[in-house]
Amino acid sequence: MRKDAKLNCPYYLDNAATTKMSEKCAQVMQNYACEAFYNPSAGYGLAISVAKEMATAKKSLLNKLGAAKGDIIFTGGATESNNLAILGSLRNGNWEYVFSAGEHPSVYNVALHLKQLGFIAHIIPLQVNGQVDYEALEKVLNEKTRLISVMHVSNETGAINDLVKINNLRNKYCPKALFHSDGVQAFCKLLYNLDSIGVDLYSISAHKFHGPKGVGALYVKNKQALKNIIYGGGQEGGLRSGTENMPGIMAMVAACNMAKVKENYEHVKAVRKSFLDVFINEKGVSFIETDSPFIVSVSFTGVNGETLMRVLENEVIVSTGSACSAKYAGNRILQEIGLSVERIKSSIRVSFDTEMSEDEAAQAGGIILHKYQELREKVK
Amino acid sequence: MKKVLLLRFGELYLKGKNRNIFERKLCDNIRKSLQDEQFKFENTFGRYIISGYDEERENVIIDKLKKVFGLHSLSQAVELDASEEVITREIAKINIEPKTFRVNVKRADKNFPVSSMPFAARLGEVILQNNKCQVDLYNPQVEINVDIRMNKKAYIYYNRIDCQGGLPLGTAGRALLLLSGGIDSPVAGYLMAKRGLEVDALHFHSYPYTNEQAKDKVVELARRLTGYVGKIRLHVVSFTRIQEEIHKNCVPEYMITIMRRIMMRIAERICVRDNLGAIVTGESLGQVASQTMQSMQVTGSVVENTPVFRPCIAMDKQDIMDIAQKIDTYETSILPYEDCCTVFLPKYPVIKPTIEKAKREESHLDIEGFIEKAIEAEEVIEL
Repeated sequence: MRKDAKLNCPYYLDNAATTKMSEKCAQVMQNYACEAFYNPSAGYGLAISVAKEMATAKKSLLNKLGAAKGDIIFTGGATESNNLAILGSLRNGNWEYVFSAGEHPSVYNVALHLKQLGFIAHIIPLQVNGQVDYEALEKVLNEKTRLISVMHVSNETGAINDLVKINNLRNKYCPKALFHSDGVQAFCKLLYNLDSIGVDLYSISAHKFHGPKGVGALYVKNKQALKNIIYGGGQEGGLRSGTENMPGIMAMVAACNMAKVKENYEHVKAVRKSFLDVFINEKGVSFIETDSPFIVSVSFTGVNGETLMRVLENEVIVSTGSACSAKYAGNRILQEIGLSVERIKSSIRVSFDTEMSEDEAAQAGGIILHKYQELREKVK
Repeated sequence: MKKVLLLRFGELYLKGKNRNIFERKLCDNIRKSLQDEQFKFENTFGRYIISGYDEERENVIIDKLKKVFGLHSLSQAVELDASEEVITREIAKINIEPKTFRVNVKRADKNFPVSSMPFAARLGEVILQNNKCQVDLYNPQVEINVDIRMNKKAYIYYNRIDCQGGLPLGTAGRALLLLSGGIDSPVAGYLMAKRGLEVDALHFHSYPYTNEQAKDKVVELARRLTGYVGKIRLHVVSFTRIQEEIHKNCVPEYMITIMRRIMMRIAERICVRDNLGAIVTGESLGQVASQTMQSMQVTGSVVENTPVFRPCIAMDKQDIMDIAQKIDTYETSILPYEDCCTVFLPKYPVIKPTIEKAKREESHLDIEGFIEKAIEAEEVIEL
């Protein structure tokens, strides 16, 4: 986000936590809250037209995802989508469930819960580049595998998992297994096509691409494969009961339709380069080389990342890790890829967005470098 | 007949000529604690009576009274005219069938025609006639108490709810509590308030090395304490600059010793300025390196004319934690935000520091300048 001199806003580099919603989305929300407010399940004309718009909205999302068939289930956000994908796939019997160690808590903690319940859940370690260890993954897959859940882009490091490769492994060892991916940090940011990737279930969240908070979706290739986890009026083909959040849904789709994925990707790539170039000659600064230009984990030798974050907060907003889990000490993902405790403590996460120019990125980088050097002197 | 609360006070009776001062304060504090409630208050010969309140609010009122220092216990009672006939009629209505009971009659009004023991026996007879039960004087399941007071009223009650005890808040003056955000310091504040001491609180923070939540946590702790100790003025002083300078100029193992010496100096300065009579800390002997006897000597030696009260000094951690649970500060205290003592924490803090060595380390610092600047930038929060 641009630094607004008038409002004296700091540079916002925490777009992986959430993004600013656009005015356009806010107008759409207002319209579906105050004008076209009818319940899409109702039987009269005005409600039926809302239901039709919802159906069109689903098509727009499927188009953007590059999925010719399949369904969209609207949810209350990606945490719910992930829970539905995993818990809705559970079946009685000796099935096995496979997760990557790099998953967001909304997948990882479900995996731990499954273990507690007595299910067989494999957690596959990460490589130093932040991607899942494909060899280790290959070893656990077998005809008893029921579900594989590996995120598309890591919310901590920006590492992109090779979903095509995982899909090939699935087809080779367990063709009947479901393949789920948490696409929260990929959707509307990377250019891809779900049909050619081959996933069965894919989670997205509106507020990560300038839509509203509290709404998301789960792409489902074949609805028969999934069971509902909540009970009620049977909306969303029975998979997600509860009156649809139309203002949220329509604003999410508006945000999706506005995203120029290819253009944005190239722009953010340049922004990230311009940001990281600032640190070229500073030996104390290192970062994890990963593929998504939107997220980078940077460590600042000799200082505490959390302290640096607070020193910076009036000028540049960064994060010390996933906001959903920042309250807890340590960082599971960085530990998992083998960083030392010292380096983890000195790490911050920087996440970019299309609204920032290359110059601004360099300025923000300059501020961070300056504050880092100042702080390092004090705590030496 | 009306429902009332019968309040008893604790060790005020030990007070001689000063008793009036203590009683007046206690009455004030009771009224203050119930300021949001409707009630009548009566002070009658060694008992306070609360009446005329909304019965639906009774539990809330009792909870508030249970936090008033100086009250020893209270009972939920019915008030009657003190005549044999009225009391007997009321007792005849009792419809309880425990296996065993006893009746206690207390007769503060010696003009009441029947003396206590025979009257208790007579009332016991009445209960036996109406209920299937037995008398057990030593270990009864239910005690029926009849209290005949000088105001020509009698009170019948079955229970006795313990209150805080202690002395009325405000009768001992006002002190400054060092509030860190840990478990011990709120307990220290509570214990001193129980002896009648009102408190201001002083918190040191190290932003940006510690976060905003660490300060919010201390504000919340102080707010929870106000239930017992009344209004608190919370002084928040930044310690960041001082810590950076100590870190730069002094040997690491003396970091905490010097920090605490400066904290004590700032505390005394605020005491003198604001007319506060003592410093209260949550220190407990031997709990950490900075709470050894030697450490306390070295940190305490900078305080010139102000007593330092350490009510937790001889308590085990578990005992302190139990009190923290009771006064509802424990859950807040254990929130995982670092306080200023965890910043620049040396690997091996000195366990037996000496005053000379501390002075030598301090000679590298402009202590007077730090203290002045820190106090200048003090933030005060009224709770």
